[in-house]
Amino acid sequence: MFDIFFVQQLVNGLSVGFIYALMAIGFTLIFGVLNVVNFAHGEVYMIGSFAGLMSITAFAPPLFVVILVALAFGALAGFGLERIAFRPFRRFRDEASLKSKAVREATLLSSLAISIIVRELAEKIFGSNMQAIPQEYLLLTPVQIGPLTFANGQFLIFGLSIAMLGGLQWLLKRTRIGLAIRAVANNPMGASYVGINTERTIIATFIIGSTLGAVAGLVVGLYQGAIFPAMGFAPGVKAFVAMVMGGLSSIGGAVVCALILGVSEAVTTSFFAQGWGDLVAYVFLVITLVFFPTGLFGGGRERV
Amino acid sequence: MRRNIAVGILLLLVFVALPGLLSAVGGGYWFRVTTTIGVFAILTMSANLVTGTTGLMSLGHAGFYGIGAYTAALLATKLHWPFLLTLPAAGLVTAAFGILLALPTTRLIGIHFAVATLGLGEIIHLTLLNWVGFTRGPMGISAIPGISLEGLFPASDIGHYYAVAIIAVASALVLGRLTHSYYGNALRAVREDDQCAAAMGLDVVRLKIQSFGFACFFAGVAGALWAHTTGYISPADFRFSESILVLAMIVVGGLGSLPGAVLGAVILLILPEVLRPIGDYRMVVVGAVMFLCILFLPRGLLGETPVLAILRRQFGLAWDRTKHLGWRQ
Repeated sequence: MFDIFFVQQLVNGLSVGFIYALMAIGFTLIFGVLNVVNFAHGEVYMIGSFAGLMSITAFAPPLFVVILVALAFGALAGFGLERIAFRPFRRFRDEASLKSKAVREATLLSSLAISIIVRELAEKIFGSNMQAIPQEYLLLTPVQIGPLTFANGQFLIFGLSIAMLGGLQWLLKRTRIGLAIRAVANNPMGASYVGINTERTIIATFIIGSTLGAVAGLVVGLYQGAIFPAMGFAPGVKAFVAMVMGGLSSIGGAVVCALILGVSEAVTTSFFAQGWGDLVAYVFLVITLVFFPTGLFGGGRERV
Repeated sequence: MRRNIAVGILLLLVFVALPGLLSAVGGGYWFRVTTTIGVFAILTMSANLVTGTTGLMSLGHAGFYGIGAYTAALLATKLHWPFLLTLPAAGLVTAAFGILLALPTTRLIGIHFAVATLGLGEIIHLTLLNWVGFTRGPMGISAIPGISLEGLFPASDIGHYYAVAIIAVASALVLGRLTHSYYGNALRAVREDDQCAAAMGLDVVRLKIQSFGFACFFAGVAGALWAHTTGYISPADFRFSESILVLAMIVVGGLGSLPGAVLGAVILLILPEVLRPIGDYRMVVVGAVMFLCILFLPRGLLGETPVLAILRRQFGLAWDRTKHLGWRQ
């Protein structure tokens, strides 16, 4: 009944979907806490994969260490991003500023500006072409299971995503910092009244979200063999789409929608030309926004 | 009297001083730069109407600009229409697309609308890129005829300059009357609090759709000018990064301020040219200028409020009921 080729496409789509999910979680966490969109998330993804690649070409460490390097750089990028692009704009607290359109959307634009600067500087330093990746680190060793062929990178993506999603759930539900993050997301003013350090919580959120993004970037770069400065844009937009489809502040919804996006893209590309596959995400986005403005899994947000 | 002098000086600058200066330095290259600035000035003024005045953040403006450019280019190369027909045709087709797409999406507010326009812009870009049979895909359309009038003047750099300048001034006039009138006040009311505006009896959704349609018309006109002055267009000219560039220009100039939009276009296009000797840091400069502006001048170089005050004082725009200006007198 099912074509083997079709099942293969589904599996490939799922692994792409997990990548979108890892990025979408970062978006969703930051949106949930600060209620702003972080347009520089795709650049964190790019920084993660470049940091991994630099460590590979410099020391050739085992893959595990490379992932740790990407984690560290992701955390650093998240911290820097919050300090530069988000923190300066929390000084506008007076009524007139909060009502002014220009100030309300300032963080959105500032993260956009930072993402432009980082991407263009990376292009200046590394050139805009794809980087050469040492052969032994490419995660493309074929693994045959029955009639299906997997790449070992797909196992890594599945395993890593599930581990990180589980870890995130544990972090949010079982630890003190997770409790603080959920409190600030729910009501920042109330959280600061009960003695939660909101500044530190916001930084923690950025660091957690950015490490997820950076690891996703590294694994995808090695799996697809494509590391270049503008690599963050397309998955960033798709993760964003997944977040909106999932209902903006629902992590579970974002993950499910990311998987749906990945699979439907893979299915589309198996029927049409490669270029049309990208269209799926945007068509889904517009359809969701028009017909389900609160997202497929959104709670009762009052107005959108 | 004072207003006539101010307008006269501006018109002299655009139509006599600037082309004279450029001819004197003998710059075909600088004519190209100023023509680009003119096209982007129309584009930013139109984006400012929807993003600044009506408060609907549009992240897909380059898509509509692209529809205008492709309409003009295809009409001119396939059907051999003259420029005087392709220009309004491009504007009307783009406005039709804009209104069609605005009907469902303008019901969204805030970030949801921004995301929807981002999606629409990318859909337009990917369609231009992949529909090879109609748009020739990534190869683009070349050999688009320049702007010329039969028997009056042939296509030349200075001819292009004057065509763009005349249309830019006309667009500024129309958009200025639109934003600095009772109608513009209604749009600003929608931006500041749409529920309150609806409670005061404004048809909020209709106003949003109208302003989106007007903005798309002028974006289409800018696209047609771009197609005819460069002679070659490809989908790469109408990517998301162009939408961001336009947005950066408006933010630098001041959201909601019409002169600010023009100033932003001038600054962000002149800076990379001036900085060319130190290397091609075009987009880095754009990002840095945008970031610094948001940080230190969150209301832009020419903020909306002072500009409105000046325009009211200098031109008495729409504050005189007896002159039958504006909306629902």
